[in-house]
Amino acid sequence: MTALDLSADRPSRRHSLALSIGLALVGLNVAVAILTLFWTPYDPLNASGGRLEAPSLLHWVGTDRLGRDYLTQIMIGARTALIVGTGAVAIGASIGVTLGILAAFATRLLDDVMAATLDILIAFPTLLLAMLVVAASDSASLWSAILALGLAISAIVARLTRILAKRVLRQDYIIASRTSGTSWPGVVVRHVLPNIWPTLSVNFALQFGLAVIAEASLSYLGLGAPPPNASWGRLLQEAQGTVYTAPVGAIAPGIALVALVIGMNLLADGLRDVGDPTRGRSR
Amino acid sequence: MSALLSVQGLTVSTGGKTLVSDLSFSIGSGERMGLIGESGSGKSMTAMAVTGLLPANISVAGSIVLDGQEVVGTDDKHLNRLRGVATAVVFQEPLTALDPLMKIGKQIGEPVRRRLAREQAHAPRGAVEREVLDLLDKVALPQPERIANAYPHEVSGGQRQRVAIAMALACRPKLLIADEPTTALDVTTQAEILKLLDGLVRETGMALLFISHDLPVVAQVVERVMVLRDGVALEEGTVGDMFANPAHDYTQTLVDAARMFDEALGRTGS
Repeated sequence: MTALDLSADRPSRRHSLALSIGLALVGLNVAVAILTLFWTPYDPLNASGGRLEAPSLLHWVGTDRLGRDYLTQIMIGARTALIVGTGAVAIGASIGVTLGILAAFATRLLDDVMAATLDILIAFPTLLLAMLVVAASDSASLWSAILALGLAISAIVARLTRILAKRVLRQDYIIASRTSGTSWPGVVVRHVLPNIWPTLSVNFALQFGLAVIAEASLSYLGLGAPPPNASWGRLLQEAQGTVYTAPVGAIAPGIALVALVIGMNLLADGLRDVGDPTRGRSR
Repeated sequence: MSALLSVQGLTVSTGGKTLVSDLSFSIGSGERMGLIGESGSGKSMTAMAVTGLLPANISVAGSIVLDGQEVVGTDDKHLNRLRGVATAVVFQEPLTALDPLMKIGKQIGEPVRRRLAREQAHAPRGAVEREVLDLLDKVALPQPERIANAYPHEVSGGQRQRVAIAMALACRPKLLIADEPTTALDVTTQAEILKLLDGLVRETGMALLFISHDLPVVAQVVERVMVLRDGVALEEGTVGDMFANPAHDYTQTLVDAARMFDEALGRTGS
């Protein structure tokens, strides 16, 4: 192969470690989440041992206050975290990217209004916004939490999309493409979205991590997924009272949470480098 | 014969500043015309006005009739049907005029696919790919298959400009607008690209509007030249006339500069 191809390969190899660790962490989480649909070590709803048992061969991470297997709860928590992260990012991405692209094409006045509105929304603390939405809905449920976080994310994504799209739209290749007869929608699909995707996808992964943490915080405050949906946030909250007598109850869901968030960030970093063919170019 | 492009009293202005004033010219089918002037003389503005792609904050007055369709004041949707059909443009900067994240074959394939869809209801399978390779071959790029699979940053500047020309050719336009297509290239590559453009224009019989600040470059590919300065047309005539007896002092300086440049290079005549 030519020297060009070699130089293009080097950076992705350098980043492949981040990608591998990210894939492993997120992959493990996904595998566990899928596994819980078919099998869990114990019944998550009923006691299977004594109360607050220490880790043992029978209960690897011990049991909770009601004698339920803690590992089972954490495994189901992985499922909850994935649903929340994916759902919130999906909502945030679809609303945010649409709004951002529209703002990039809007007239000066409309664009200014949209930009100011987004800035205000973003200045509003995500958690507070989420609490308002959850409080406004009839009962706290996983879905109201996902919707609330999705809306908060959409404001951030919209602002980022708007800036990125505006920058791409100023490029010569957009005009070049237009002169050959590409319509505006065609330009968005073929040029704008692919060119903003590397940056957007990294942001999506970041927002995924933040959504998982935010859901844990909401659950910790009692506004997230109600029982029997196990959530890492609720596990942390329940473990709070017994943190000195049974510290594993607080440490285990904490580690799971951190692992997923770090994994997601590493995965995003790695994917960006693989997905962008110009990354190999020395600048 | 009605002209392919007829510009009458074109005035382009923004924020109270006039960029092009009362410009009139016409290009017949198959005719090759040059637009010369220094930076800021309004050459590129004129070209963009013809495609109807000037930014919204720049206002255009006068009349531009392209292939029987008035461009000034026509909405974008109607104009878009003209783009690629009546005109295609080759730009100055071959690096920035190509999408960095799209493979070259795909970029050329877009206008090909659009044209095939326009011409026939069902293009045979692989027709687009075949024509892309044909076009790459036509602009004298080596190993068309490799280039089609490469990203723009993986080929050289001269090759990129050839790709840009292939993209414009893919449209099979009636008028090719070349906006300083050789300015960003080194002298050797410049000569090659000029030769290529000249040959392709002759072969396909399309009209050419060649924009440049460089009189000798323009003289190589066009029959007729118009000199622009500060948005005003100074004079217009055949290339031969322009060199023999320039009517305007400014044109004289351009011709002198060209001669001096030639002499400095040890070339004789032009």
